[in-house]
Amino acid sequence: MNEIQTTDTIAGMPTVFALECQNLSKRFGTIQALEDVSLQVPTGSIFGFLGPNGAGKSTLIRVIAGLIRSDSGHFSIFDRSSDLGYRVRQNMSTLVDRADFYKNLSAFQNMKILGRLTGHDDEDRINGLLELLGLYKRRKDKVKNFSQGMKQRLGLAQALLPDPKLLVLDEPTTGLDPQGMHEIRDFIVKIAAEQKVTIFLSSHLLHEVELICSDIALIFNGKLAAQGSMATMFSEMEHVTVELEVEDSQKTLKFLESSKLVSDVKQLANAISIEVLHGNIPELVREMTARQINFYSLSQRNRLENFFLSQMDKQ
Amino acid sequence: MILLKLTQNELYKIFSLIRSYIGVVLFTIIVPLILWGYGMGTSHIEGQIENAVSDMFFVEGSPTNGYTAAYFIMNFFWVHIPFLIALVGGDIFAGEQANGTFRIYATRPISRLSIFVSKTLATMIYTLLFVIYFGLLTLGLGLVWHGGGDMLVFQDGVLILEGSDAMRRFIIAYGFSFMNMALVSAIAIFFSTMVRNAIGPVIGTMALIIFALMISTLPLDVFRGIQPYMFTTYFSNWEMVFYDPIPWADLFRGLGLIISNLVLFLGTAFIIFRRKDILS
Repeated sequence: MNEIQTTDTIAGMPTVFALECQNLSKRFGTIQALEDVSLQVPTGSIFGFLGPNGAGKSTLIRVIAGLIRSDSGHFSIFDRSSDLGYRVRQNMSTLVDRADFYKNLSAFQNMKILGRLTGHDDEDRINGLLELLGLYKRRKDKVKNFSQGMKQRLGLAQALLPDPKLLVLDEPTTGLDPQGMHEIRDFIVKIAAEQKVTIFLSSHLLHEVELICSDIALIFNGKLAAQGSMATMFSEMEHVTVELEVEDSQKTLKFLESSKLVSDVKQLANAISIEVLHGNIPELVREMTARQINFYSLSQRNRLENFFLSQMDKQ
Repeated sequence: MILLKLTQNELYKIFSLIRSYIGVVLFTIIVPLILWGYGMGTSHIEGQIENAVSDMFFVEGSPTNGYTAAYFIMNFFWVHIPFLIALVGGDIFAGEQANGTFRIYATRPISRLSIFVSKTLATMIYTLLFVIYFGLLTLGLGLVWHGGGDMLVFQDGVLILEGSDAMRRFIIAYGFSFMNMALVSAIAIFFSTMVRNAIGPVIGTMALIIFALMISTLPLDVFRGIQPYMFTTYFSNWEMVFYDPIPWADLFRGLGLIISNLVLFLGTAFIIFRRKDILS
């Protein structure tokens, strides 16, 4: 395994993590789905768990959720050890994969059934959550008549029923249209901020993770490749892709193509894209200003994608 | 308390499924139909009975009544009911796997043992209600339709049971039938924990019952040694309740074997479910 990157966020945290995994391994026949995976999810973070399809993301989440048993290792949730069995999940809720419900029951009836499991079947609370997720008006409709987006929202509502401190979401935007994805993302950020819920989110959608996560971990072929705060990871990146929105693109292009600070200069539809060493960005800005190149914005693009690909190359 | 809530959930789920009512609807249609047909053919049946007993008894009134009708229907249906019972037991675990609902249900902080016990309890409650409904429909409707009276049982001669005695024996017979059907449910649950679709357990249960029935009824020497250990050998044990005297020792020996099998199937099912990785 590559050396695991740790960050100041993790190092600076108190010892209690929302989720802490130690040497989790799981094998399915000849496939090593997880190999000695150890990670820490800081309390209060929105933690992105990234990896390509089949990397082991869902396996890890299913181990934590109690759906499958690990071969070795253990984990703890807010210091409650997995040795406690099902009780370890006292402060945790999950939405694993696509949200599926009892199709012949209504949204409200589904919530009632799931609420009973943990003693959270108060009707006002159920209605409140359905209202929060925009499903109150459809609460009496059978779930079989729901779109996948509505099911995902109902999935989030049921996950919030037990008032969890840790919410584990496995590919929560799978199968949704762009509007549905946007709604779910907004909602995740909202509940993390308003209800102080730590979010552990698995995804292979890098853009999605980059938009909402504060911390990430990368997994490839069942092995953890890196973890830490997004800011620290990006600061450690050497080359970054930057997009410039400028007043005079021809003048800027001429300068950039002659500059030793940048490489891979591309003219895009409404911007110019360049590769630049992260540490050289201030100097680049100074040189452009000295040459009176006016720009409206300078933003790093695809940082996570670049980081992800660079880590993947190391495998 | 949690077990009560879980069982309540399971019953709610069972009774929200159309398949749970297939047997009920079927019997609601077919039992009155048989009772009607039985009524239409009573003169023929009475003639046969009178021929059989005329040298021993003088028959006054009708020997065919609600009791004989219910006995006739029970004799006919004990082979078919297991299929209808297995529809629910077979779906109880596999249905959740197939629909993906275990991904939510089984992630809550509740033990697999609680889930298993609640599902098993709910299935057994359904089985009990089914047998009670069957009893009420056959005996209750039979008595309303064809009246009461003495009951004639043909077993190594003719046994005449008074109405009140016949009623008591029917209740005991339904009790033994319930235990047999509980075993059918346990087998369906066993298969249900093994697969991810609801049809497989129903087919598996029926295949096992048919296989075991063949072994326990084939009059071949090679099978005689194992026939006393086959649960299907005791599936028609309820008939013994109408013997005189009632062979209690034989009945409870059979019941013991049924309960042993029930514990075996449920125990194995729990071990499978407890160790099962939920991947769908």
